[in-house]
Amino acid sequence: MLRASAAAELAGVPTSSLVCEGFLGQAATTAVGLGMPNLAVAPVPGHVDTQAADVLERNVVEVTLPAVIENLVSPRPEAVEVADPERTEVVFTGSFEEVNRLYYENGWSDGLPIVPPTIEAVEEFLSYTDLDADHSFGPLLPDNRAATVWSVAVNGVMAGCRPEYLPVLLAIVEGLADPAYGVEHSGNTPGADTLITVNGPIATQLGFNCEQGVLRDGFQANTSVGRFLRLYLRNVAGFLPWQTDKATYGNTWRVAMAENEAALAKMGWEPQSADFGFAPGDNAVTISRYTGGGVVTSVFGSTPEEMVDYLADGLAKIGGWEYVFTIGVAGGTYRPLLLLSPVLAETIAKAGWSRADLKRALWEKARIPAWQFEHYLGHWTNLVPGRRSLEDFVNMRRAPKVYAESADPERLVPVCTEAEHISIAVTGDPLRTNAYVFAHNGMLGFPVAKKVRLPDDWEAKLAAARNR
Amino acid sequence: MAEYSVVWPRGPKTAKLVELAPRLDSLEGRKVAFLWDYLFRGDEIFPILERELAARYPGVTFVPFSEFGTTHGEGEHEVLANLAHRFTELEVDAVVSGMGC
Repeated sequence: MLRASAAAELAGVPTSSLVCEGFLGQAATTAVGLGMPNLAVAPVPGHVDTQAADVLERNVVEVTLPAVIENLVSPRPEAVEVADPERTEVVFTGSFEEVNRLYYENGWSDGLPIVPPTIEAVEEFLSYTDLDADHSFGPLLPDNRAATVWSVAVNGVMAGCRPEYLPVLLAIVEGLADPAYGVEHSGNTPGADTLITVNGPIATQLGFNCEQGVLRDGFQANTSVGRFLRLYLRNVAGFLPWQTDKATYGNTWRVAMAENEAALAKMGWEPQSADFGFAPGDNAVTISRYTGGGVVTSVFGSTPEEMVDYLADGLAKIGGWEYVFTIGVAGGTYRPLLLLSPVLAETIAKAGWSRADLKRALWEKARIPAWQFEHYLGHWTNLVPGRRSLEDFVNMRRAPKVYAESADPERLVPVCTEAEHISIAVTGDPLRTNAYVFAHNGMLGFPVAKKVRLPDDWEAKLAAARNR
Repeated sequence: MAEYSVVWPRGPKTAKLVELAPRLDSLEGRKVAFLWDYLFRGDEIFPILERELAARYPGVTFVPFSEFGTTHGEGEHEVLANLAHRFTELEVDAVVSGMGC
């Protein structure tokens, strides 16, 4: 919304932005990142979604309206530029505890101890890339800071990563900078978190866990790389709790995940990164933002047909309001993820099913009643104003015909518009019959995958790192 | 006790300070456009603002949010890229943009 105001100001048209009371701090910091710290905001008391029509009207007339007029006809205060340190400038010298205190008090750490980012430590990281330290993958909103290789190394040091993880960290940040991912939405109120998936031989080379407890902390590569992403969102994109990170609840970062490449090879299945054009054996990182997840425990059956109902039930139940990314807010961008333990995936593959076959079967079964789908869009929420029916969306060509095959409110409709939109990864305890499902945040964290670029002398450097 | 000389963890700014558009002398006789992200009751709030502004400035006119499409979601990038052109085309003097909630 502020981005629209900024575009209007750039076009020479004065603006007033309507912002609910609880979001004024976010608006102020976002405006700084847009280069317009003096962007004019008109407050709306409380939150509009809980106000009766007469209360809303009174608030708008008594509070919002005068500010709108003032914003459009009165001169705005001058904006003041604040200088930042140069990248190699030492900003502080002190003990481990003093460094940690400084970083915490300035909002540069997450509250856990950080590894002090000395120039020597950063340069050791930089030895694992052929890219220049000043190379930028692009600006990251809301702060609009350049995602430089140097800043990746600094935050990698702080997160407790090993220097040789740098190529993976760079691929993650390249993904963040991809406009398709939508990093600017990382502070939205549902408070979703990004899951990193590592594919290719690099996962084993760097010691990523892909077996039992794959989503649990306790494995340096998985844990520190996951922490890195959250620190990077904080320090470079600029998502700070109580300011631009407006997660109503939120949670700690997700540890990075690796797929079980050995199991995939045995089954003849492609990795998750194949959805983005990568071949088996390619080193790649996928990032995608998920609103929540849940385990599907003790799947029972010796054939895919016996398993698919329960797995599809998990996919259908994990979603809810997120279906506004299937139809409504950003149609066709909902990408739920199913994690299969190797023993489940191998049983399915043994019957001759490919990943595509499984996706199709899941899509056919992962369905909910039409009335319930409509309630998520515009009855229980007001995320899609107008309380339109699924038939309306089909008639407007904003939904496929499968959503209006009859007028029966109890008819079952799919949770995503295409079978291909269901992501599948094989990981977790190899011999336990559990699966895991993630609900997806649609275009507010759309899946992107990037190649992990290794330096020319990667093997030698890796061998040296192992002996360190 | 070991000491550490540390560097700043943030990235360089890419956005330079941008001067805001000049403000208007009055809304009288001006054309005000509404931009909406199609969230949080803008469809109820903009009509209230329109009614109240018109009562205070009888010569003010309005461009509805439907002229532009949603400023959030799937159409955001295209809608924002097209704003300057649309403002010229529609002779827009001022904008009220919502809803940040």
